[in-house]
Amino acid sequence: MIRFDGVSFTYSGADAPTLRNVDLEITEGELCLVVGTTGSGKSTFLRAMNGLVPNSTGGKLAGDVLVAGRSTRTHASRDLADVIGLVGQDPSASFVTDVVEDELAYTMENLGVAPQAMRRRVEDTLDLLGLHELRGRSLRSLSGGQQQRVAIGAVLTAAPRALVLDEPTSALDPAAAEEVLSSLSRLVHDVGLTVVIAEHRLERVLPFADRVVLVSGDGVPLRIGAPHEVMADSPVAPPLVELARLAGWHPVPLSVRDARRVAAPLRARLATVTRVERERPVSGPDAAPVAVLARASYSYGDVHALHDVGLSFNRGEIMALMGRNGSGKSTLLSLLAGARRPSAGSVRVGGESPASLSPRRLVKAVGLVPQDAQLLLYCETVAEECRTSDKESGLTEGVTRRVLDGILPGMPPDRHPRDLSEGQRLALALAVVLAHEPPLLLLDEPTRGLDYPSKARLEGVLAGLAAEGTSVVVATHDVELVARVADRAVLLADGEVVADGAARDVICHSPVFAPQVAKVLAPDPWLTVDEVRRALAGTDQLVEQS
Amino acid sequence: MSRVRRVGVAVRLTTRASVLLAVASLLGLAAFCWPLLVHAQSGVNAAHSADAPWIFVALLPLLLAIVLGEIAEGSLDAKAVALLGILAACGAALRVPSPGIDGFEPMWFLLILSGRVLGRGFGFVLGALTLFASALVTGGVGPWLPFQMLGAAWMGFGAACLPRASGKPEIALLAAYAMVASLLYGALLNLWFWPFGAGTTTSFSYVSGGGLLGNLHRFVFYDLTTSLGFDIPRAVTNAVLIVALGRPVLGALRRASRRAVFEPIVELDDDATSQSLDDRTPASPAP
Repeated sequence: MIRFDGVSFTYSGADAPTLRNVDLEITEGELCLVVGTTGSGKSTFLRAMNGLVPNSTGGKLAGDVLVAGRSTRTHASRDLADVIGLVGQDPSASFVTDVVEDELAYTMENLGVAPQAMRRRVEDTLDLLGLHELRGRSLRSLSGGQQQRVAIGAVLTAAPRALVLDEPTSALDPAAAEEVLSSLSRLVHDVGLTVVIAEHRLERVLPFADRVVLVSGDGVPLRIGAPHEVMADSPVAPPLVELARLAGWHPVPLSVRDARRVAAPLRARLATVTRVERERPVSGPDAAPVAVLARASYSYGDVHALHDVGLSFNRGEIMALMGRNGSGKSTLLSLLAGARRPSAGSVRVGGESPASLSPRRLVKAVGLVPQDAQLLLYCETVAEECRTSDKESGLTEGVTRRVLDGILPGMPPDRHPRDLSEGQRLALALAVVLAHEPPLLLLDEPTRGLDYPSKARLEGVLAGLAAEGTSVVVATHDVELVARVADRAVLLADGEVVADGAARDVICHSPVFAPQVAKVLAPDPWLTVDEVRRALAGTDQLVEQS
Repeated sequence: MSRVRRVGVAVRLTTRASVLLAVASLLGLAAFCWPLLVHAQSGVNAAHSADAPWIFVALLPLLLAIVLGEIAEGSLDAKAVALLGILAACGAALRVPSPGIDGFEPMWFLLILSGRVLGRGFGFVLGALTLFASALVTGGVGPWLPFQMLGAAWMGFGAACLPRASGKPEIALLAAYAMVASLLYGALLNLWFWPFGAGTTTSFSYVSGGGLLGNLHRFVFYDLTTSLGFDIPRAVTNAVLIVALGRPVLGALRRASRRAVFEPIVELDDDATSQSLDDRTPASPAP
């Protein structure tokens, strides 16, 4: 279906090739998962499949890429549109029209499909992706997950035989991501479409991937193989795989179900060891909290976003704020950040109402990193962003840059913030916020679009801040993040606090919020692989099993 | 990003397109300036001076269509089309608030900055398209439209012809150009409308066959009295906008054009000769 014959590719102006000697044949009906860190060349690899690389980007191509027998050397991307379709990260970036149905028909209009066939294919696609109820809706009124499904549908109406997806869920929240990935699994299983997908949420795609391609970057040859083979030593791996490596399970289980079936000996062994609790100086109950919400409510017109919420935020504590979309997480953050005044009750940060503080004092009292980190960045280069941040808040020159280097060293100073990767952008936004050293740091869904190394770095930064006494509040759907860093978890539903307690107690036994490790090792409340590793290291030898 | 990359052109003007553009511009200039050029002595001309403007009104749209068609003939890059569409739409939207506020026509500044960054061909097409789109939006379609389109096309083209500069001198250069160009644009359109607009009886009316100098004198008087009150604020508005917003807008446009990689150089292994896809063997039809 898609064949790479000794393909190498070098961008114009680049010193080293991004792809080197790639030989690969993706067969009809296969689901191929492409794994790699940000900037490793995944996107280049995917775009080489429909000829956007090199025909649109420029550069030097050696070897040949054949899609359904057509070479990208002799065919423009538009002449491949009927056999291969590409869906990117941001669905709204690919929309041309305003209405769902029009968007679905647009590709076919360009390919000159007969009206009768067009009509039928639109109907088919609506059913296939479960979009029929949205057919007349404006694209802008759709949620992220719905938009991404429309974007996939718009590609599918051209009736391609292969679908290439470049991190289709990284701009989406987990619920929306789930929605998109379920649609995809349907396309693979029921329709038998050939799918090549690059994805950060490995745990969700691994169970039904036929093959995994590991892209390491720097011209290192691709690793291609069955999922359990590649995952056995892939540097990018979900917690489940890490647990499998620790326990020495062969072959590596790829789903919670498979893992539970081989985990009985490990569970038995863990029952005999004591858990080493994470050590972090949490201030005692007598220390004054950094911020307090007392019977705070907020409503948008008739909608009660928050109702009677009472919470205190302590020094050196990382609190995870969880709950489904619309449960009031973002509203709570905006009350703390002083962007809104509570309609009833009170909000105090450092003893004062944040909404009445002057901007200058506010940034020193509380820092908020919004879901879209780009919102904090408006200069044209990283260096300028740092300089402006220093100047506007009366800091000595170089402070922001130093903070930035502490979070993520070696960020290119002349890069445009929009051209940074998600991880780099988040680091820059964090640096701008942290330069003021606020005692209360709020983050809204910070792990969106981050790969594993960036996530690990963020976790390190947050743990470091908490150790220095900062109170950190993270609104997130990412249970693995909660499992790894949060001390306390607060669960919101319909604007009310339904659970508030130690993170372990809140998330461990919930079928929705439990992390992979907890699901495998239930009923004992283990949260992370590190925890298991430390506990086992306390005893003499590791679990040996065949 | 250390090595210098050749920068592709968004809309390349082929030799044929350039020649056509030059011829059309000459004819267009004549269409604007005929009131000054018609000689009193020439009986034939005098006899036709009444229908001359109508001939030009009919001719100019055709000319524009031919030039734009020829520019698009080299199959416009999809990315250039997208950028043209967005910028023309922005320009048209910027023209919506114009009526009602004297001289507030902020679209020119965007056209000038776009032409500067994206080149002559792009500037020309964008000028024509912006005016066309804004006429549709504001309901300003009429015999004057082709003249406005050509005027704006020249303005975009001209912005791309300015000498190299960067930083503050560049902004100053563009602001000065915006002043001069929008004044010239106003005067040219007045010139076209003058014979109809000023009647035949006033002291600054067009006198058919009145001689170049005489008519020029009357025209300048007409221009000064009727529209400078509008043209000067417009020139100033756009110059001020360029000074205020020029740097970020230029930055955004330059980044867009850098990211778009117009006319990418594609090298295919062994022979390593640069070629574009269009020069290669034609695509076989889809099965």
